[in-house]
Amino acid sequence: MTETANNTVLQVRNYSLDYLTASGAFHALKNIDLEVGAGEILGLVGESGSGKTSMAWSIMRYLPSNAREVGGDIRLRGEDLTAKSPTEVNCMRGKRISMVFQDPGTSLNPTLSLGTQLTETLRRHRGLTGKQAWSEGEAMLDRVGLKSPAEMMKRMPHEASGGEKQRVVIATAFACNPECIIFDEPTTALDVITSRQILDLFLDLQAETGVASLYISHDLALLSRTAKRVAVIRRGEIVEQGAVDAIFNAPQHDYTRQLIAAVPRPSDRLTQTRPSYQDQPLMKVENVSVHYGRKPFLSALTGRSFEHFAGNRAVSLSVQPGEILGIVGESGSGKSTLAKAMTGLNPFEGQMTFAGRTIAGLADMDRAYRKNVQMIFQHPDASLNPRQKIREILARPLKLYGEGEGSAMAQRVGDMLEQVRLPRTHADRYPHQLSGGEKQRVAIARAFASRPKLVICDEITSALDVSVQASIIELLLELHREHSTAFLFITHDLNLIRQIAHRIAVMYRGDLLEVVPAEDIISPERADYTRRLLAAVPTPAGASPAEADL
Amino acid sequence: MIELLKRLLRTPQGAVGLVLVVLVFIVVLFGPLLAPRDPEAMSILARYKGPSASFLLGTDQYGRDILSRLLIGARSTVTMAVFATLAGTFAGAFIGTVSAFLGGRADEFIMRTIDAIMAIPNLLFALLIVNLLGSSSINALVAVAVAFAPGMARITRSVALAVRKQDYVSAAIARGESSRYIILREMLPNVVAPIVVETTIRVSFAVMLFATLSFLGLGAQPPATEWGLMVSEARQYMHLSAGILIWPSLAIAIVAIGFNLLGDGLRDALNPRTGG
Repeated sequence: MTETANNTVLQVRNYSLDYLTASGAFHALKNIDLEVGAGEILGLVGESGSGKTSMAWSIMRYLPSNAREVGGDIRLRGEDLTAKSPTEVNCMRGKRISMVFQDPGTSLNPTLSLGTQLTETLRRHRGLTGKQAWSEGEAMLDRVGLKSPAEMMKRMPHEASGGEKQRVVIATAFACNPECIIFDEPTTALDVITSRQILDLFLDLQAETGVASLYISHDLALLSRTAKRVAVIRRGEIVEQGAVDAIFNAPQHDYTRQLIAAVPRPSDRLTQTRPSYQDQPLMKVENVSVHYGRKPFLSALTGRSFEHFAGNRAVSLSVQPGEILGIVGESGSGKSTLAKAMTGLNPFEGQMTFAGRTIAGLADMDRAYRKNVQMIFQHPDASLNPRQKIREILARPLKLYGEGEGSAMAQRVGDMLEQVRLPRTHADRYPHQLSGGEKQRVAIARAFASRPKLVICDEITSALDVSVQASIIELLLELHREHSTAFLFITHDLNLIRQIAHRIAVMYRGDLLEVVPAEDIISPERADYTRRLLAAVPTPAGASPAEADL
Repeated sequence: MIELLKRLLRTPQGAVGLVLVVLVFIVVLFGPLLAPRDPEAMSILARYKGPSASFLLGTDQYGRDILSRLLIGARSTVTMAVFATLAGTFAGAFIGTVSAFLGGRADEFIMRTIDAIMAIPNLLFALLIVNLLGSSSINALVAVAVAFAPGMARITRSVALAVRKQDYVSAAIARGESSRYIILREMLPNVVAPIVVETTIRVSFAVMLFATLSFLGLGAQPPATEWGLMVSEARQYMHLSAGILIWPSLAIAIVAIGFNLLGDGLRDALNPRTGG
């Protein structure tokens, strides 16, 4: 016990933080106690709004002007950070304590080369000359596994991929051999395979340098693999803290239990229905290609050649009535493009057949087709018009498809809200008065208003917290059973899709690689890319070792 | 609405702007009642007088009471400016939203046309229209409205383009809504905030543009009490009495500053991110 105490690098004791708002003080953090030792990774897990990012900013001493520190202290090797002057804090940041942000696209300055941004830290905190810093920077990029570091130093952020940029950010964080590094969801903005690589890199560097790491994440599965100890934070309070195994296998607090139960596990099948594959398919997509980009107006004059960007290349698949077809792939693989083509948001080449009717272009998508094929979008904030009340949003499809008038309409809107487990009184609210999960329920209610035969769900749970995600999935499956609606479920979450889909389609860079029954996705005969994708997915927390090996 | 007013009053520029604009509107509404004298009653003996108890702001070259002329002139000056701006705003906002919604070649065509029109300075463009239509107050109003529309269209389009990419517009298209419904019900309500701000600021430009047109003799005609015209007429007599020139100029400045400040305040008040 004494040994760990000596080894403590970062210590947060009884720390509380308030934000002053127009409606009084908001308690962002309440009596937080955390300790990170040298060479240790402490995972901080919580849902959005739990205060995990506030904690990170408090440690970095970068708080907004309306923040008030009510009590407690934050110590780095025994020195109280809350007592330090701004100048001292400036010297400390980047040198003794540094941070890796969620999105490398926004945490790097787009107008400076990667090398300039990396060497700035070296010059400032280690007093190196420009030349020394540059060669040191190259060595660092080499260390974070970037090929041809010399060339990478000269590149601008937009010339590097997301994974490469995050590697540069990590190199910058490790540049001055800090004592403590805060990782704020460093892999959330990246693709599955890339984030796996970044995670491996992080673990290697961590073991090599013995830095104390505070790893903030909402992803329990991921934390269970990286951290030794985990603290669960909820509404500004740490509800449970302990070793990873203890937390995941024998959670003490209800909230922790709830969180762990909400994590999708491929072994728990949630769908019991079995669609018939003998029937005529409900939706048949044949050789559908989508090209983006329009020839610039004056390109003929300037003589510049113009090439279309292919969003989809000759995709063919079919959806049976009442089937849940999952589509997985990384960002840019063309999943959403296909969904947009099927809902008439993108022009396409090729042919679709819906319930026996041929659809060769946007003009063939008449009202009956649109009524039967509905789409739910990723961000409920963006898919509900902020200037319309829920009543108006839900009544619109009824009116459009001629399914209700006057008082019957009000009744229907209430019924729709109840169907998605929302109180009838929500009809009088505006979208911004609802939580993210509630908004997504409204979007689901809107899609089901016309009793469609096929609903396309485009990453509908990825903007939501894990416990909200679980309840949304439950609702969708219930609607699926009740109306035997077919779903086209687009996601990047393989664990989730293995739970609910009958068949899974794998897409890669605009091509459809394969369509396989969900239970066969782990078979070794799958395409190379599918296997790599599966290998990169973090095993869910608390999964049995046998399953973790798969 | 009350919430918005509160937020508006919290910023100094919003509070000052609101007070000035409210004062201006009181004068516009009740000016003729407040005016102590007949604005067109001449008096040979009382020419070029400085401020006194009987003529609070003095008299002009014909011995007319400047205060009364200003109070009555507010109605034509400010009302004209507001109506011209509103007309220009509605036309511009509609063109901009339609252009953003249509996209592609239609958007390109509309916007390049607008660019070509915008290359002509506002004043020159207004002069051109007044010259074509003949000089009168109504024609000046049309000229200012037409001159404002392209700028409004550009601003609206840039906001509408962002709205066009929102999923609720995609959702409306996917459910098969008509273009009319999407433009009027889904898009326009969401581009309104920046347009309101821009409109308020433009009212002050319109006041000045009208004043300039009248000054050049192309707007209101004597003996109208339009402020720009008053400045224009006073020019030749300013060595006899500076007040004739100063008071109407000051009135124009107050209206311009008031609307400008109100616009600044509204921009902050309508932006949810700046509010507490």
